[in-house]
Amino acid sequence: MILGYIGVGALLAALVLGGFSAVLSFWAGAQENAVMVQVGRRAFYAAAAMIVVAGAVLEWALLSHDFSLAYVTEHTDLSTPTALVAAGFYGGQEGSLLYWALVLGVLGSASLVASASLGVRLAAFATGVMAVILTFFLVVLVLVASPFDLLSITPPDGLGLNPVLRDGGMLIHPPVVLAGFASFAIPFSFAAAALLAGRPDSTWIAHTRRFALIAWSLQTTGLVLGMWWAYHVLGWGGYWGWDPVENVALMPWLATTAYLHSSMVQETRGRLRAWNFSLVIVAFLLVVFGTFIVRSGVVPSVHTFAISAIGPWFLAFLFLCIVFSVVLLAARSNALGGHVEPVALVSREGAFVLQNLLLVGVVVVVLWGTVLPLVSGMFGQQRVVGASYYERAAGPLFLVILALMAAGPLLPWRRAAGRVRGGLRGSPSVRALMWPGATAVIVLAALVVGGVRSMPALLAFPLTGAVAATCFTQYARLGRGWSRMPSLLGRRRRRYGAYLAHLGLAVLVTGIAASHLWQQERDVTLSPGQQVTVAGYTLTYVGSQDRQLADHTELVAAMRLGDATLEPARATYAGLGGQSLTHVAISTTPVADVYVVLVAGNVDGSASFSVFVNPLVSWIWAGGAIIILGVILGNLGESAPALESVRRRVPAAAST
Amino acid sequence: MRWALPALVVAACVGYLIYTASGGSAEYYLTVSELRSHTDSGDVRVAGVVQADVQKSDGGLHVMFTEKDGTDSVPVDYTGTLPDIFKPGITVVAEGRLGKDGVFHARTLLAKCPSRFSTTPYTQ
Repeated sequence: MILGYIGVGALLAALVLGGFSAVLSFWAGAQENAVMVQVGRRAFYAAAAMIVVAGAVLEWALLSHDFSLAYVTEHTDLSTPTALVAAGFYGGQEGSLLYWALVLGVLGSASLVASASLGVRLAAFATGVMAVILTFFLVVLVLVASPFDLLSITPPDGLGLNPVLRDGGMLIHPPVVLAGFASFAIPFSFAAAALLAGRPDSTWIAHTRRFALIAWSLQTTGLVLGMWWAYHVLGWGGYWGWDPVENVALMPWLATTAYLHSSMVQETRGRLRAWNFSLVIVAFLLVVFGTFIVRSGVVPSVHTFAISAIGPWFLAFLFLCIVFSVVLLAARSNALGGHVEPVALVSREGAFVLQNLLLVGVVVVVLWGTVLPLVSGMFGQQRVVGASYYERAAGPLFLVILALMAAGPLLPWRRAAGRVRGGLRGSPSVRALMWPGATAVIVLAALVVGGVRSMPALLAFPLTGAVAATCFTQYARLGRGWSRMPSLLGRRRRRYGAYLAHLGLAVLVTGIAASHLWQQERDVTLSPGQQVTVAGYTLTYVGSQDRQLADHTELVAAMRLGDATLEPARATYAGLGGQSLTHVAISTTPVADVYVVLVAGNVDGSASFSVFVNPLVSWIWAGGAIIILGVILGNLGESAPALESVRRRVPAAAST
Repeated sequence: MRWALPALVVAACVGYLIYTASGGSAEYYLTVSELRSHTDSGDVRVAGVVQADVQKSDGGLHVMFTEKDGTDSVPVDYTGTLPDIFKPGITVVAEGRLGKDGVFHARTLLAKCPSRFSTTPYTQ
């Protein structure tokens, strides 16, 4: 009871501080009053501190089973394991919004600490924009979705967590994805502040790229973990269903991927300023839009979200953000232009621009598929698209992006064409392209000889091979200057980290393509002793038995695969209206996963199974890990001089 | 300006891909009553609540049940793995087509999955 009051008090204090920080920062920025700017920034830190207090109170209430709070009652019960009780913090609508505000407050504060060097106005406006976003979340938390609402009667026990969510995945996937979502607001705040301050040069890029990269890495991790969780828990043999909930997490990721590449063009060549602003802004708008559509129930999804009062609030906020962004970009369009030589088509920056256009194209494809039910519903009968739409529309675009990943890093900056004068073979870029080209041809030949005739496979695998070859040639060049390697690695860390991330993506895409194109499935009913063979893997059904556990019963089947025994099971929760839950059994090798789902057991001892053989699925998880490793190695503890040199390299841009 | 043409080409390709892909695979999302009057061929999706008459056969791999939405209902027949939470009372989305026999033959069956954001309001 008392915890509820403390929580509400902390949220109210945070709301007042956040609003104060927003108003003061904008005013002080306009006046260039350095003292007041600092006060505004400290008010933001204080608001963040109050949110931390509120978060701590909620966590305390959960762990101490304070069922006087409606939120605690609705998401936990006494039998829930402690780790999952703690996860209840972000397990419900209200708590997840508080978690969001918490991440924004803490990461936002971290980004503001070093912002003073950006100049009074930019720092003040960045604080202001961030404080407005934070205040919006606090208004929602206080007025419509408070995690501290009290029940009039304290029940003896809570309702508990849905069994599907009683899983380790619950501990890692939601917090990472939500943190990713929350952190997209930081690059947006700095971009908007740079535009407001009339300083559309590269200073904001150097400062915000790091936070864009944090948001991107969190989102990458969140997406891969989400796939991993869905694959291991849901039992349909797949990991990605193109559901609106997945799509809205993918779209800001795509936009930020584009930004991370195009921002390099601005850093090194001072180009694409308006474009970079737009990408950062679009990524944030997609986050707000996504939050609105998945939490308001306007789009049919297999995930049912509680239809709550927050929908209209997010819609209003989205509308406000769009108007603000469009007006801001339009008002500064003159300053964003400028007399710069155009980007050459065949050059490193040309590849970046084309890759950007294609990524935005994928965003458009995914966005259209996601909102089609909404749009078609307005003009008549509601229509929906399934996975095949996304595959057919986005697949070709992804293939061209892969081709660019193979060729782009080998092209020189500025113009490639000028260097070809000495004969095509003599050109360094053409010679460099030989290795990925040869790899692609070898992979293609191997596939054709192996009897593969599917067009997507004949395109995807040679291209991922070429991408990997490109990364290896870059590392080989590094290896040739072995003695200089430490210093080269030090100076170009970001670059070699990026190649590792590219390599990871090539591995990940190979896994996705193989498991998607070559998945095999069989549904069978077997009596004990009978066998089934799928894609060369023979499984023998040994028998099944019932197990009685604390809160559920479990039917466990034993399947022999070679020397190993797989134990797919089906749990039934009597306490939850007899809801059943499958426990998938997976035998993983680098070549393929054998994925067995127990559908049902019969009275005569026979049992029905769905058996999937999913090639190269483990490559997806490995690829995701390599990507993150590349980002960390390339950027962790990046020294300040690296940022300085970036700033020095773009003096022309800074003077406009 | 040099980029206007490539940008237009990419935009045209994206537009073409969206047009052809959604033309081929967009499905109508219908209520049970709309299903009766729907004449287009091709698969549709129908959402409704599973009624208590669920009959399983073939070791649980084949199922027949009635899907009800408001006042209208339709018998549904489906072969394959059922979603975990499938039981009378939950909402499912069946994807398939209505046969001449008046039975909806579902190719896939999706259950509305209990998300981490779904809350069962506590009633005292």
